[in-house]
Amino acid sequence: MTAAEIGQATPERARVGGRRRPGSARAGLRLVRLYLASRRVLACLLVLAACAVALRTALHWLPRTGPFSRQIPLIIEAGAAAAIGATARSPFGEPERATGARLPVLRLGVTLVLAGAAFGVLAAGAASAHLAGGALGLLRDLGGLIGIALLAAAVLGGALAWVGPIGYLAVTLPAVAGHWTSPWAWPARPPHDRGAAICAALVFAAGLAAVTLRGARDAPARD
Amino acid sequence: MTTATAPVTAPRAWRVSSAAGPARLLRIELRRSPMLWLLPVLAVLFYVSTYRPAMDNPPFWNIRSGTIQSHTMLVFAPLLAGAGAWVGSRDGRRGLADLVGVTAVPRWAGQVASWAAAAIWAEALYLAGVAVVYGVTAHQGAWGGPLWWPVTVGAATVAASCAVGFAAGARLPGRFTAGLAALVVFLALAGGAFAIQDNATYAQIWPLNVQGPFPPDSYGIFYPYLPDLAIAQVMFLAGLAAVALGVLGLPAGAGGRWLRAAAAAVTVAGLAAAGTAVGLAGTARVEPHGIVIPALHDAASDRATPYTPACSHGAVPVCLQPAYRAYLPEVTAALGPLLGQLAGLPGAPARVTQVVVTTVTSARENGIGFGGPVISGRPPVLYLPLSGLTLPGEGNAPAAQFTANLTGQDGTAIVNDLVGLPSGAPAGTGVTGVNFELGPRHAAQFAIANALDRVLNLTGPWSVPSGAHPPGRSSGAGTGGNGAAASGSGALAGSGAGARSGAGAGGGAAPSAAQQQAAVDRFATLSAAARHAWLVIHLAALRAGRVTLSEIP
Repeated sequence: MTAAEIGQATPERARVGGRRRPGSARAGLRLVRLYLASRRVLACLLVLAACAVALRTALHWLPRTGPFSRQIPLIIEAGAAAAIGATARSPFGEPERATGARLPVLRLGVTLVLAGAAFGVLAAGAASAHLAGGALGLLRDLGGLIGIALLAAAVLGGALAWVGPIGYLAVTLPAVAGHWTSPWAWPARPPHDRGAAICAALVFAAGLAAVTLRGARDAPARD
Repeated sequence: MTTATAPVTAPRAWRVSSAAGPARLLRIELRRSPMLWLLPVLAVLFYVSTYRPAMDNPPFWNIRSGTIQSHTMLVFAPLLAGAGAWVGSRDGRRGLADLVGVTAVPRWAGQVASWAAAAIWAEALYLAGVAVVYGVTAHQGAWGGPLWWPVTVGAATVAASCAVGFAAGARLPGRFTAGLAALVVFLALAGGAFAIQDNATYAQIWPLNVQGPFPPDSYGIFYPYLPDLAIAQVMFLAGLAAVALGVLGLPAGAGGRWLRAAAAAVTVAGLAAAGTAVGLAGTARVEPHGIVIPALHDAASDRATPYTPACSHGAVPVCLQPAYRAYLPEVTAALGPLLGQLAGLPGAPARVTQVVVTTVTSARENGIGFGGPVISGRPPVLYLPLSGLTLPGEGNAPAAQFTANLTGQDGTAIVNDLVGLPSGAPAGTGVTGVNFELGPRHAAQFAIANALDRVLNLTGPWSVPSGAHPPGRSSGAGTGGNGAAASGSGALAGSGAGARSGAGAGGGAAPSAAQQQAAVDRFATLSAAARHAWLVIHLAALRAGRVTLSEIP
């Protein structure tokens, strides 16, 4: 490459007649594959599957009513959310942020896909059993917890994203038995509670936006 | 001068004692531990989960210490396990395992130093939080002294959580390990709660279990805090921590032969301690003053704590344990009118003395039933338990609620006891009523008791339930007792009017509801002096069941 060629499109990105060359699609797929590998998305999916198995096992033993019927599934949902938060961590840090122009799109897409996968596998795990709160409650609680995990990833770093959902749950679990009325303690509210759903959705949106636009905070140097 | 002629100085040998290496390493780890980053988060969570709930309750050492053990550990244990896993997985995540494996300090000693640094910071925060809560409690003038066993169990839980997480992180380093370690510990705590509610005996070892089904205000005041369960819990947690750390020293790269042998010994000792503790917890039983494990029980704990009671100066003095001194006006206001009406009657209490409990029975789902007040002795003394009642200020409960509860529950029990209706039966959690065999000879007792309830407004709006025969009413301590349950239901079952299934089974013709109602109305409309005079003469016969409805004026 000569100095004159700097600034010109690379062969893979060059367009012919306004259409992308066949090689560019392959490069895009490769980019996605590398991104998924760098975020350990496959391992995350395995963790989500394990959470679904744990949920199914727990629902077999749990009573249909009472605090435990809500609290233990919530813990498992928090585990799934923590796993999604952990995928936000970048092993490359600043070099990737400086050169990866499509990172926000990748972050947004992968996070949404993982959130959808988490809901899907957990709902499948609870399909033949009684899940207190039902699918609607699962969607709200899981969405809110994922939002907290993403926010924690943005603030504390992806590796410490689990602190958010686990800490939130530790504080709000007693609320499930105590029937708190604050919508911000959405796990304690009935599944059709509009305020709780709005709060959970807001937290999910905030977390998604933070991770999409900014990404997870780089790990502190001393960890 | 050439290099050949330069004086040769022997390199200085830096000899340090064998303990200096790990100690220096610990100092470095203390400065660089990632646990420092988590301390602000843990401090906020301590405030939200422990400090605020503790301050929402009255300043009793037992309530505050119970909150510290159960609430704090529910929050801290999963987070510390996750943080421990994060610390433990550092070498693996950074690809430093080979590098640190060849340093002068054995690998196991280095790992123990990393764990110790994390645990020390966590313990420091936990103990600082305890100091704040206990300091405020002392400032608020709580009677007695702080309970240290729940704090010790909490400290052991902190160390064990860090150790378990650390071992998981060291064995399985990865970005998901910390979250999964936190999740597993969280699930273990929830599973323990579930098991203990399912009456699994060995689940008493659960570290969030303070005194089994006892509500926090029912132990550690009249009698010393029973440390039996706490000792077993500390033993279990120490064993768990020893196993987690000992396992790290078993691989070949962890250190020399002696060090690995020591690690194996620590692991075996930890397993033995944890197993023994679980076995001991299986022998735990509910006693009036707490959970007793026979092998760990100290008979000295069964001696009552001496105190000088705080007494009112009415016609019937009410004496409370000094820890409850602040509630003397409310108790006097709740029982004073009733006691004034009953004063001078044969068998009526001449004095009220607070006791911790009258009777205790275990109930389903880790529940417990406390008996209500009992009148006994000569001169008669009313022994009044307050444990399990919602005290003024507890969860922002107003004083009026406490007074109303006391009047409604214990007032009716006192009247029942006085007129000879069955009392003293315990109310267990989940029991919806206590049925006694009541026959026509009890009809007059019911009528008098109902009339007194009505006159003294003991049970609020009064009515004879249709179909009740004889009219049902709260009966005895069984329904008016201070039912309490660790499971949180805490329902005071059957404290309202309830029909007796055994009514009419005593033989003879049972009076009709109309006759019963008429007798109640007649007696309730008498003047206070006339009622009192009639009771002075006829109370003994009434108690013996020799008074009929028609004899009631």
